[in-house]
Amino acid sequence: MDSQVLSIRGMTCAACAQRIEKTVQKLSGISQATVNLASEKLFVEYDSDSLQLPAIKEAVEKIGYEVVEKTDNASVTIPIGGMTCAACAQRVEKAIKKLEGVASVSVNFATEKATVTYEPQKLRISAIKESIEKAGYKALEINKVNASDEDRVRKQREIKTLWTKFIVSAVFSLPLLYIAMVPMLKFVRLPFPAGLNPMQYPLIYALIELLLVIPVIGVGYKFYTIGYKSLIRRSPNMDSLIAIGTTAAVIYSLFNLFQIAGGDFKAVESLYFETAGVIITLILLGKSLEAVSKGRTSEAIKKLMGLAPKTAIIVEEGIEKEIPIDEVEIGDVIVVKPGAKIPVDGTVLDGHTAIDESMLTGESMPVDKKAGDAVYAASLNTTGNVRFRAEKIGSDTALAQIIKLVEDAQGSKAPIAQMADIVSGYFVPVVCIIALLAGIAWFFGTGGDIKLALTIFISVLVIACPCALGLATPTAIMVSTGKGAENGILIKGGEALETAHKINTIVFDKTGTITEGKPSVTDVLAVNGMGEEELLQLTASAEKGSEHPLGQAIVHSAEDMGMKLFNAERFESLTGRGIVTEINNQTVLAGNRKLMEEYSISLKGMEEAADRLAEEGKTPMYVALEGKLAGIVAVADVVKESSHAAIDSLHKMGIEVAMITGDNKKTATAIAKQVGIDRVLSEVLPQDKSNEVKKLQTEGRKVAMVGDGINDAPALAQADIGIAIGSGTDVAMESADIVLMRSDLMDVPTAINLSKRTIRNIKQNLFWAFGYNVVGIPIAAGLLHLLFNGPLLNPIFAAAAMSLSSVSVLTNALRLKRFKPTTKQDKGSAA
Amino acid sequence: MKKNKKVIIGIGAAVIAVAVIVIVVLKVVSGNLDVVGKESITSFEKVLNTIPDKVKADEMNAGWSLEAPDGSVRFIWSEDYSKSPLHDVMLEFDAAPFVNAGLDVSKLPENYAAYEGMLMVGIKLGSDEMTYQGNPTPLAAYEQIVKKYRSSINYHTALDHYGVKLGGGNMFEWAKDMAVNTATDKDQDKDIVFVLNPEPLIAAGVNPEQVEGWAYAQVPVEENGKTADVYKFLKPFNLQ
Repeated sequence: MDSQVLSIRGMTCAACAQRIEKTVQKLSGISQATVNLASEKLFVEYDSDSLQLPAIKEAVEKIGYEVVEKTDNASVTIPIGGMTCAACAQRVEKAIKKLEGVASVSVNFATEKATVTYEPQKLRISAIKESIEKAGYKALEINKVNASDEDRVRKQREIKTLWTKFIVSAVFSLPLLYIAMVPMLKFVRLPFPAGLNPMQYPLIYALIELLLVIPVIGVGYKFYTIGYKSLIRRSPNMDSLIAIGTTAAVIYSLFNLFQIAGGDFKAVESLYFETAGVIITLILLGKSLEAVSKGRTSEAIKKLMGLAPKTAIIVEEGIEKEIPIDEVEIGDVIVVKPGAKIPVDGTVLDGHTAIDESMLTGESMPVDKKAGDAVYAASLNTTGNVRFRAEKIGSDTALAQIIKLVEDAQGSKAPIAQMADIVSGYFVPVVCIIALLAGIAWFFGTGGDIKLALTIFISVLVIACPCALGLATPTAIMVSTGKGAENGILIKGGEALETAHKINTIVFDKTGTITEGKPSVTDVLAVNGMGEEELLQLTASAEKGSEHPLGQAIVHSAEDMGMKLFNAERFESLTGRGIVTEINNQTVLAGNRKLMEEYSISLKGMEEAADRLAEEGKTPMYVALEGKLAGIVAVADVVKESSHAAIDSLHKMGIEVAMITGDNKKTATAIAKQVGIDRVLSEVLPQDKSNEVKKLQTEGRKVAMVGDGINDAPALAQADIGIAIGSGTDVAMESADIVLMRSDLMDVPTAINLSKRTIRNIKQNLFWAFGYNVVGIPIAAGLLHLLFNGPLLNPIFAAAAMSLSSVSVLTNALRLKRFKPTTKQDKGSAA
Repeated sequence: MKKNKKVIIGIGAAVIAVAVIVIVVLKVVSGNLDVVGKESITSFEKVLNTIPDKVKADEMNAGWSLEAPDGSVRFIWSEDYSKSPLHDVMLEFDAAPFVNAGLDVSKLPENYAAYEGMLMVGIKLGSDEMTYQGNPTPLAAYEQIVKKYRSSINYHTALDHYGVKLGGGNMFEWAKDMAVNTATDKDQDKDIVFVLNPEPLIAAGVNPEQVEGWAYAQVPVEENGKTADVYKFLKPFNLQ
């Protein structure tokens, strides 16, 4: 299966998004097609054996939308020196074209610039420059624009165009509205040119209105081109509604203009030019505000994209040289000075510094870095000089991965959007039918009052707003996933975001999650003639091959004490019990009670001590030598500073908290008590963790699992929501639905809170979007007038309401930008 | 900032250009576009043609008169404003009903004149000498009003009536189309109506309820595009 993201242009409402989804889903070989109206992107997953991307593009373009394939291509404009004629330009062009990875090249002799679109994975700018130099010309300093910048520029241009259109439209609509309304005002006398008195000069009045509405229609021409095209293709959208409504108003007004010219002066009372003009103006205003708000929903991504520095200082043959970031290669040695940003991911070779990784992790405290430590692109070097080797560049850096993850999440859909999707698919045709029926009903019901019928028809068309429905969910998801990323919480999709708010039970892995995951030896109790140091040395020697954190803790403690460790002749790890090794031809067992019982080792006299240690939250490890108990080595892990507060917060949110561990019951209970955990699942073998989660799920609970290790991956996958913490493994992060980039457990309530806030926000959006249409359409259809002799809705107010509905949904979604992470002081009060 | 300036200048220039074009076009074709004025001539001609025996030259006022079928009131319009002695458009009516209702003529305002048992009320529109192609006719004289003093011609949308404003709230009105005179109020459903503003008459002692031959009623009046109900003395007639 292949997947691809395509940028779609020309969508105006949720009906468009639905239409594209349906069209693409019909293609054979498509397994998934999702359109995000807010980000204007189509995510497709397809079988590349039976379906090719051009076929998908063709299908989308066939229904009237423009497809822009998302590529990683970059574009660069290289100023060239030394060109003297057009033939030089040709020569340079040919030279660049020959390079592998060049998508297109254009050399302009007049501007002395080469514009090259290329695949950065295959081609380096330095190679392009080299080819120019080889051709006999000088490659000067470059100006590079990447795809995201282009997208940003395009969007900014779109916003600007919309604002300009709105201003032009308003400049003509305001006087149009003024001359249309002032003669109708009964109680207010506003200045009005006598030569335009509609009663005395109706034709001049009508022509002036016509002249004023023409530029407005001109700037709003897209409503007509898109709207009628969609209508012809039997997939009407919001533009179709605007186009039909305003066209009806203009045609009826033109008819009345001819009536006036023919001597029927009363027809001056039936001009609706101002309705058409003001509707277009208000919709343009709405669209402009919508475009600005839409842009703000993806600010988090833009911020992330803007984090990476543009250049890096590499050391080549002992000389420092500043090069563009895209020219950095794996293996390059990079120097970063205090105050500068790390350009790519790598490992410190020498130097000592503190690096602020808050832009990636949200952790405000700079992290100490020395030789051997990893550094990440976009983090800020605060104090010292460091040299590091580049290991991950371009789309492989942690920052690029995060951006991709957030982008994917922002493009995903939440199940809560399903209803809105279904409704918006049928919305526009249904609205057209309602408008037509209402107009006809009022026409016949009033004995042929065409003015009233037309007012109703136009009002219903222009008040209906499928945009609000389409924007309700994706905008909230975009803002909240972005906000999450800003705080080091990576939510992998809309579904995860939605499920997280339903969680009523959270299971925490103990080691590395509730505790620091860096245990150390606390007690050594030797028996049967064994000395304490000897016991520790033996145990550490046995554990030398172990990857278990407890085993490694014992090894570290022994090494710290300067002990010499023996080599084990045999090493066997028994999952969930301990190890069996052979040292100096003697069998050494180290593990829990189960292991000792399995090997029939008598624990007489030591069980009480082990229980006491366990009650203190320590993990006692029995050690046996040659079938005889040698003692106990107790290891304890420090509880994370934030664990108690995080669990407290979750309790306040009404969530039950459980802890899962392989530790014995007493140790587990002691730790649980320290942090206030309700339920302890102890002595659980790693492979059984997912079963424990399943058991909780069968109790009807919505379970989130928080863990960090490889052994947590199945449980993370089994849980309704898997939350991997940042200090954990790649496997855990892969299996998780939410990744916490820091090890701070306070991010768990923050993530749940963010989910709750987002879902509440989506529900509010959907309520307003549905409610607005459910209430607005009947009012526009004249229901209040029919039932209670109430007011009829002027189409101008209908258009204003329509524009405001989309803007209100977006504004509400943008409120999520004010979301603040849960702190120890809040302890869940924000839930 | 520079670009915004350009946009603003562009929009401003576009607006000015459109405004100039509109003004020029209107100036050039305004005569043709004044459909109300043009139609009023046709309509007035129909009235004149319906009662030709009531349309007479009025030498004293250098113009023409249209007399009510009962002879109690005349609408007079000048054919040459340089020669009309008092008013250019006016009503002349029998003073007796008002005198009997308490009128003290000495208290009437300046736009009124009283002589030989008659009252005259009207307005001087100008003093220009009118020229005609051929001999002046009643219709040609009316056309001069439309052409030179268009603001004196009124179209009453609600009643579908034309009128000549005589100043001080006095009017002479006629149905735009006598064949389809569709006003709803039966008192106004007439082809021609002589209208007097009652206020100066009341101020001069008239008891409006006692004026014989004139209806004292509230009528909707349009002024500057606004409609208001006001009291008037009305003398309506059906011509057909």
